[in-house]
Amino acid sequence: MKYEMVAGFETHIELATNTKIFCSCTTKFGGDPNTHCCPICIGLPGTLPKLNRQVVKYAIMAGLATNCEIANISKMDRKNYCYPDLPKAYQISQYDKPLCEHGYVQLSSGKKIRLTRIHIEEDAGKLIHKRGDTYIDYNRGGVPLIEIVSEPDISSVEEAKEYVERLQQIMRFIGISDCKMQEGSMRCDVNISVRPEGSTKLGTRTEIKNMNSITFIGKAMEYEFSRQVDLIESGGKVEQQTLRYDDVTNTTSSMRGKEDANDYRYFRDPDLVTISVTDEEIDELRKMIPELPFEKAQRYADELGLNEKDAQNLAKYRKIAEFFEESSEGIRNPKTAANFIIGQIFRRLETENDKEEFNIAISAQQLKELIKLIDDGKIKNNLAKTTLEKMLDTGKSAKEFISESDMAGMDENTLIELCKKAVESNPKAVADFKNGKQKAIKSLVGFVMKESRGKADAALAEAKIAEIIGG
Amino acid sequence: MVTHDDVIAIARLSKLYIAEDELDEMTKAMDDIIKFADTINNAADEGIEFDNINNLSNAFREDEVVTSYDREEILKNANDIDEGHFLVRKRV
Repeated sequence: MKYEMVAGFETHIELATNTKIFCSCTTKFGGDPNTHCCPICIGLPGTLPKLNRQVVKYAIMAGLATNCEIANISKMDRKNYCYPDLPKAYQISQYDKPLCEHGYVQLSSGKKIRLTRIHIEEDAGKLIHKRGDTYIDYNRGGVPLIEIVSEPDISSVEEAKEYVERLQQIMRFIGISDCKMQEGSMRCDVNISVRPEGSTKLGTRTEIKNMNSITFIGKAMEYEFSRQVDLIESGGKVEQQTLRYDDVTNTTSSMRGKEDANDYRYFRDPDLVTISVTDEEIDELRKMIPELPFEKAQRYADELGLNEKDAQNLAKYRKIAEFFEESSEGIRNPKTAANFIIGQIFRRLETENDKEEFNIAISAQQLKELIKLIDDGKIKNNLAKTTLEKMLDTGKSAKEFISESDMAGMDENTLIELCKKAVESNPKAVADFKNGKQKAIKSLVGFVMKESRGKADAALAEAKIAEIIGG
Repeated sequence: MVTHDDVIAIARLSKLYIAEDELDEMTKAMDDIIKFADTINNAADEGIEFDNINNLSNAFREDEVVTSYDREEILKNANDIDEGHFLVRKRV
């Protein structure tokens, strides 16, 4: 029998606020253990939490960017469980009245992954298990999170990866989180089950906790899918449980039986008052949502004539998109800017993180100046390319590397002389070309370009060389 | 009716240990508490919003950092401390 995968995600994202959700301690990552703490975030009795306004704003923006309905009335609840990462023995979260509901994230295939809800809550402290003891650092305790819960609409590893990437891009574009999975500011719990292909009944699911890399999410899902299929095929039953993924052995193992909601004994937190948001306030926040990456990519393709792949690559990272838009604005052919960025600048940005950070030596205006020189017919593409490399090495402007004589271009006689020289100095290439090897002419053009330090017009040089050899 | 199993389940969630010979007494006590709370169902509650009884909303804080406490202050009440951490026995 053939089986299909059914998966839903619970994604936790740390919000980029300055302070924690219920107290004024900093949310900075790292720091010496227990130095970003106060009586509120270590849960001392008699303290009162007070909600950070920015947390509500950011969560609503996350909801708006993912097509959610925003609740005008919302509240905070206590989720009770006893574990040392939670000093109060309950987490303040939202249960039956989350801030955002009924949204979706659209994949490139057009498929919509529905979002059940987005709610706000506090993060737990960090536990380090060593020498048989548990060491607790509460710096992270109380850092604001949103939890984005999807419907079980994901039916493959590819869809899962794209879903996570899209969420990551959206949240970064609206500026509410850096979504760094390796630093834990974005983490996913994956609910996964299997069912015979074509069936509409959901199987028993397991939950893989705290995945912090897109690659591992893929591997863990593949492993868990085959484990469940094998189990059912051999006559067993999948048990509802919480699993941990081990990236060294690439296996999942049981952490605990899955709690039901009533095990958490949710109830309203009496220390925190109702959250009320007006339609006017929601509209104000809606105005702050920028054009999102997929919308940008669409526009780059439709209006600027970029091919789909280039458009997506440029639109994927906020800083790169901004750089591209600034450097191509008012330029005759925006593709020139796209080609320089994708061809030359991307080569210097090896990792995803490099692209996200986008630390390069030149500004968008500097690239624009260079492109203008081409637009105005003052320099040729080849010279521009070598100049850009120098600019990227030094951070200096194009004018520093291009002299007046470079910009004067090359008169036809000089070009013909150079072409003749190319033909005389490279008898082998000439012979190859005569024997029908068309490509051989490229090395002759290369010779001309090199001799002219990029000033010659490559297309014209090729025509002249062909003429010389032919004649 | 509260059962022995309910009491055991709640005790487990609260990390409490209840001995076999305490179960009857605990079950009855729990049953009495819930019955007492049930009396609220007899109150005339039509048209009353219990969810926000004092009608307060939106007590927000601005997102401005205030210096945190010294670590010695934070760790002062801890039973056990090591390397700036709270220390507890490993569990689960």
